Amino acid sequence: MEYEIRYKPAFATLFMTLQPGDSIIAEAGAMVGMEGKVSIKTTFSGGFFSAFIKNLLGGESLFVNTFTNKTNQPLEVVLSQATIGDIVAVELQRGQELCFQPGAYIASSKAVKLGVGWAGLASWFAREGLFKLKVTGPGLVFFGAYGGITPKQITQEFIVDNGHLVAYEPGIKMGVGLAGGLLGSLTSGEGFINKLRGNGVIYLQSRSIDGLVKFLSPKCR
Amino acid sequence: MKIKILQQPDCAIARVTLETREELVAEAGAMVAMSESINTSTTLRQGKGGGILGGLKRMVAGESLFLSVFRSPISGGEVFLAPKLLGDILHYQVAGSGLVVQATSYLASHSDVDIDLGFQGFKSLFSGENIFWLDLSGQGDVLINSFGGIYEVDVKDEYIVDTGHIVAFEKTLNFEITKSGSSWIGAFLGGEGLVCRFRGQGKLYCQTHNSTAFGQLVGPRLPAKES
Repeated sequence: MEYEIRYKPAFATLFMTLQPGDSIIAEAGAMVGMEGKVSIKTTFSGGFFSAFIKNLLGGESLFVNTFTNKTNQPLEVVLSQATIGDIVAVELQRGQELCFQPGAYIASSKAVKLGVGWAGLASWFAREGLFKLKVTGPGLVFFGAYGGITPKQITQEFIVDNGHLVAYEPGIKMGVGLAGGLLGSLTSGEGFINKLRGNGVIYLQSRSIDGLVKFLSPKCR
Repeated sequence: MKIKILQQPDCAIARVTLETREELVAEAGAMVAMSESINTSTTLRQGKGGGILGGLKRMVAGESLFLSVFRSPISGGEVFLAPKLLGDILHYQVAGSGLVVQATSYLASHSDVDIDLGFQGFKSLFSGENIFWLDLSGQGDVLINSFGGIYEVDVKDEYIVDTGHIVAFEKTLNFEITKSGSSWIGAFLGGEGLVCRFRGQGKLYCQTHNSTAFGQLVGPRLPAKES
C-alpha cells in the first residue's frame, strides 16, 4: 500500500494506491473518488456495540467503509475530510495506541483495531466528548484537522485550549482547569482549559472550528 | 484573451487580459478588480437557448445564474476574478464535445462559449442536493473554481466520484448515478450515498474538498437568522 498526501497543508488529501489484495478502512464519507474496480464494503466501526457508543457519545460515524483491491493491478482511492486542513500519517507498532478527538480519524490499514475508550468526565466537561476513539496498531493510521497539525512531546503537565487537541497517546489524562484564576480566565477569553497530564505525544490543530463559529456567529444577522 | 492564474492553489485569482472588443462572461460577484476602460453589463445568461422559454425553464427548476459581461473597447483591458471560497482555479479550453460544469464551480468564460443551464442528465437523481449543472459548448476559454485543490483524472476505464466532489467533466464520458458499493443499504449507511460512475474516455476534474460537507460542519452551530 502506497500513499501520498497532496495539497498540504491547506487542502491535504490522501491519494492511496492499493496493490492487489490491499485494503484500507476509512471513515464514512471520506471517499472523494476511486477507480471503478475497487470494492467497497460497509461495516460497523469496530463491532456493533462499540460503533453504537461511538456514534451516540463520541460523535463519530457509526460505520466505516473498507476499500479492497480484488483485481491484479494497482488501483487508486482518494480520501479527504470535511474540514480544510492538514492530514498526518502515523505508523503504529504492534500494540501501540493513539486516541482521537471526534472527527479526526480518516483512515487506517486493515490490521489497525478501532475501539472506544472512556475519556472521562473531565473530557466531557472540556466539551471533548465522554468517549474517545482509540486505535491500536500494528499499521498505518491517517487523521486530519482544521488547520495545520503540530506534534508535541509532553512530560508531566501541558495546557491546551479547548478545540485544539486532535490526537494524543493513551498515557495522557485530561483534567479541567481555569486559565489563570477565575477573573483572568473570564477576561482573557480562554475560559476553561484542558490540562493534560502524562508523558507522550499530543497533536494540536492550529485553528479550531469553535473559533470559526465564534467569529461567524455575530455576523449572522 | 490572455489568462494568468495567480496565487495557486490555496487562494487562486485569475487575471484576464482582453483584446479590443473581446467579451468575458463571469459569474456575478466574481469580479475583484478591473481596468477603468472596461464596460460591464449584467445578464441572466448569455448564449443560445435563452429568451422567454429559457427563463421559464429556469424559474420552474429553481435555477438561475446571473452573469456579468465585461467588454473591453481597447486592447489590454484587465479583469481580475476570484471565487468566494478558498481554493484553486482551472483554465480549460472548451472545444469539440464540450464540458459539463457544476454550477457553483463555474467562474467565467469567453463569450464564444455557449452556456446552457440545467444539464438534464443528472437532474432527478440529485433533487435532494442543491446542485445543478451547466452545459458548456462552442469554443474558447473557461475558468472553473473549486473548494480545495482540483485534480484531473484521465478516465480510460471507469472512475467513481462522490457527487459533492465533481467539478467538471468532458461530455465524451458516459456517467451513471449509482450506489458506491454492491449494496444499497451499505451505500447509504456508509455515508457515501450516491456516487457518479464515469465510463469511457475523457477528462474528469474533481475537487479535494466538499463545500457542502464543510458547511454542514459549521452551519448548524451558527445562530439562526433573525427573520
